[in-house]
Amino acid sequence: MLMVVKNQIRCTLLALKYGIMKEMLNRTSFISNVLFMILNNASMLIQWLVLYSLKDNIGGYSFKEVMLLWGLAASTYGVSRAFFASAFKLSDTINKGKLDAFLVQPKSVLLNAITTHVSSSAFGDIIFGFAMVFFYGFSLRVFLLFFLFTVTGGLILVSIAIILGSLAFFLENSEIISDNGNNLMVHFATYPDGIFKGVTKILLFTLVPVGLANYLPIQAIIEFNITKIVFVLLVTSFIVFLANLVFKIGLKKYASTNLMSARV
Amino acid sequence: MRKYLYIFKSNLMTNLQYIGNITIGFITYFVVIFIFANLWKYIYSDQSKLINGYSMEQMIWYVILTEILWYATSGRKLCNKISDDVKSGNIAYNLNKPYNYIGYALFSHMGEAILRGFLYTIAGVVIGLFLLGPIENFDLIALPFIILSSILATVINVILVICIGLTSFWVEDSGPFYWIYSKLILVFGTMFPIEYFKGIIEVILKYSPVYVTTYGPAKLLVDFSYQSVINIFLAQLIYLFIAVLISLLIYRKGVRQINVNGG
Repeated sequence: MLMVVKNQIRCTLLALKYGIMKEMLNRTSFISNVLFMILNNASMLIQWLVLYSLKDNIGGYSFKEVMLLWGLAASTYGVSRAFFASAFKLSDTINKGKLDAFLVQPKSVLLNAITTHVSSSAFGDIIFGFAMVFFYGFSLRVFLLFFLFTVTGGLILVSIAIILGSLAFFLENSEIISDNGNNLMVHFATYPDGIFKGVTKILLFTLVPVGLANYLPIQAIIEFNITKIVFVLLVTSFIVFLANLVFKIGLKKYASTNLMSARV
Repeated sequence: MRKYLYIFKSNLMTNLQYIGNITIGFITYFVVIFIFANLWKYIYSDQSKLINGYSMEQMIWYVILTEILWYATSGRKLCNKISDDVKSGNIAYNLNKPYNYIGYALFSHMGEAILRGFLYTIAGVVIGLFLLGPIENFDLIALPFIILSSILATVINVILVICIGLTSFWVEDSGPFYWIYSKLILVFGTMFPIEYFKGIIEVILKYSPVYVTTYGPAKLLVDFSYQSVINIFLAQLIYLFIAVLISLLIYRKGVRQINVNGG
């Protein structure tokens, strides 16, 4: 069992390594993509500078805290897109019968299917995210917690993408639901939860779990709250398990297509 | 001119067949407006106060219109199309056609932009009325000016994006240039009126594309005055003239670099 897990991890790491190497073939393009993504994220600082010139506290967040939130949103997005970009195209993979190639491999179908593509610009998101830790005020504790929540947040985003993508096993044209669902996660993630009230707030901690990927981790970092840290870890494990389960159930209904294509 | 109107009409008719695809984008639009409405409601904790001369309702209606203009233009798609036309050599097929490529690109994209703008306006008005109610002191006389200014804003925006796409004649990827332009419009144009920026930034923005592509029409919507009409339309016409001139120059210079190899 341990050997199987070890082999799977090696295989996934190899897939990611070759994905990164492929992206780096054109080094200038890779570096410019990363740099422009950092600039892209940094440009939003202007928005917050203007807003904080009007009010010292927005939704319970100070300027530095909102920057940390923005940083975590960027780094979780970055991790999910840098290493698991194909998870966000899962419905297309299923609809066009591209899962066939992964079914014949003696490794996890899901892991192989979601690690085939690497997005170079997403590395810019990760770098920007960690730069915000220094902006907030570096300490080893903050850095390690930020790293931990970057991983858990990234896993939550990927898991939601898998669940939404797996709808393609059951529904036609589920790509629309999948795209909009993934976009919802991104849009809400960069604004303080304190500005939302009532049903919206409940939704952000349940159906659209931005709260679990971003808001709760930020509170855990600021307050150094062990209960919240453990809760985030447990919830992340549950969502990852759920995504795996939904994909497995869906896979039993998979019937391929008659579309002929070559993987290059 | 008739041929360009025909191009516009045929693209409009084509896009009418895919109205469903456009309406799907409403979800993202609704979410963006919903987030901004919440944000401004929080910042205007005292809803009767004015910030930089704008009330809370004016700020949210401002964002509603600027976002309509942003989604109607769908600049990234246009920039990619122009860039692909240049890189793939497709642009060469237009050389022997009885139209100018800039005119073709403008009118064909406007066929989609006008439809998108119309549909997003319906969505924007519905969400605005639902969240805020009607705009205070809104006069129907302002409506034709707002519509005309919005159309001019979209035309200028489209031509500027075409110029950016045409840079592919010299650089491999025009994407980064579009990124910078879109961030300029998004950060300085869609979220806040120019009055929110002080000093030299405010002056620069008054001469930048932000003034004519987003601020102008939205200003007429939330704070109409005939003086603003004169200022905004004058600026839009000057910008239109310069944008057309620049796009024609770039195209003429760039098209000389095309090597047709047959095939």
